[in-house]
Amino acid sequence: MSPGESWRLYWLLVGASTRAQMQYKTSFVLATVGTFAANIVEFGAVLVLYGRIPDLAGWTFGEVAMLWGMSAVSFAIADMVATGFDLLPDTIRLGTFDRVLIRPLGAFFQTLATTLTLRRVGRIAQGVVVFAIGQSQLHLVWTPDRLAMLALALLSGAAIFFAIFVLGAAYAFWTVEGRELMNTFTYGGTTMASYPLDIFQDWLRRLVTFVLPLAFVNYYPALYILDRPDPLGLPPATGWLAPVAAAAVCAAAGFAWSAGVRRYQSTGS
Amino acid sequence: MRVYYEVARRAFQRELVYRTRNLAGLFTNACFGYLRAVPLLAAFQGRPEIAGYDLDEALTWNWVVQALIMVIALWGWWDVEATVRSGDVVSDLARPISFLGYWLARDYGRALYYILFRCLPILLVGQLLFGLRWPQRAETWLLLALSLILAVAISFAFRFMLNLSAFWTTDARGLGSLALIACTFFSGFLIPISFFPSGLRAVTALLPFAGMIQTPADVFLERLNGAALAGALLLQAFWALALLGAAQGLIALATRRVVVQGG
Repeated sequence: MSPGESWRLYWLLVGASTRAQMQYKTSFVLATVGTFAANIVEFGAVLVLYGRIPDLAGWTFGEVAMLWGMSAVSFAIADMVATGFDLLPDTIRLGTFDRVLIRPLGAFFQTLATTLTLRRVGRIAQGVVVFAIGQSQLHLVWTPDRLAMLALALLSGAAIFFAIFVLGAAYAFWTVEGRELMNTFTYGGTTMASYPLDIFQDWLRRLVTFVLPLAFVNYYPALYILDRPDPLGLPPATGWLAPVAAAAVCAAAGFAWSAGVRRYQSTGS
Repeated sequence: MRVYYEVARRAFQRELVYRTRNLAGLFTNACFGYLRAVPLLAAFQGRPEIAGYDLDEALTWNWVVQALIMVIALWGWWDVEATVRSGDVVSDLARPISFLGYWLARDYGRALYYILFRCLPILLVGQLLFGLRWPQRAETWLLLALSLILAVAISFAFRFMLNLSAFWTTDARGLGSLALIACTFFSGFLIPISFFPSGLRAVTALLPFAGMIQTPADVFLERLNGAALAGALLLQAFWALALLGAAQGLIALATRRVVVQGG
């Protein structure tokens, strides 16, 4: 199948799911507002905290809002696209993954084309609002290199979170269960990336720099944009490595996925 | 009374079946307990206290609220809504026992399970990772039990009414989730209510949510004494009774709408 054909087929499949989501308009609006509200309320807690303290380990409110917004936007894009992988543990448990395997299309493509969860737009909006609030405090000059870094970070961040969803789905081939554990890494990942990484202990900081590269979702790019030195001692240009980190973790996820599909044995019942 | 005790016992036993699920949930709560503790540690760097909390109290608050999530089903509970959707609610309403009492008993059974198998283990994890400020006085445990009984009643009545809205709308879960979001903030789950600016604190004081999380956490931390303690528990009792009363009223309204399909 040519890339053009896959693209057309993707939109055909996803379009069907989109129309289905739009059948119940009130439910859709409520779910979108709910996603927005749930996350903005969490940020409300950060706002309340900053009402009591001028800085968090040297980070101002505007700076943390910027980290928070970047993490939220990247995560929401990944979450919107990767819903098929998020639901995979159920597909495996119910045995319906068999059906995926007998169709004349790749399992990865079919899982990806399951659905595009539109209500996640609420979370993207939340990230944009929080980012904007941060900007109103920071008065940054958006030079071309900073803008490029921001765009690169958002795309790489979305790819990194997407890879984590795929890794979680691949894990389900081994355990069948594991939805909850997966949520810990995805939601936990975005929670962690919402705060400056240097407040975490060294082992965790190294882990998310060198193993599961959450640090490249926003932390290193933000250090560059904000002109802050890295307490770990990495050079300011580290942020530019975000696409490399994203490519590496995506490759790992792809490998784990293929191994998982090969290992898949239907659930007996 | 016997029948309610049996209903609660069954609800408790039903939860016992899902051991792996509880372990996975424990792991999640433990991870988030850790992830939420770290920003608190950073906030207290070079500051002995914030809004009347010292670091030990803030960390303890963090683990107590994490431990209470499942006890009061903060992320939602739609068991009644499911029966309204399926129509099974009709047979529940036809039982010769109180509909509200039946579900309240079930919720106490569920809550007791989570106190033993989620709340206590999470507190132990918090103790191992950071060290908690445990109650110093023996009577605190009794007061805590009382406060938790009331907290579950408030939270149950609130969730129960959200579920009953399914009699009027097909979007009960969507609307209910919005209400639960308000609950995560105003209950003192995301940040202690003492941290709120005074205007927001005034609004919070008029709402029932603090009685679900902040009050039991304050009792655990022994932050309340004498009249303040009695006042907080009385306020919890007031909200428990008021909301349970409102829930009973809502049942009366809802049953007028029940239409049984024959077939």
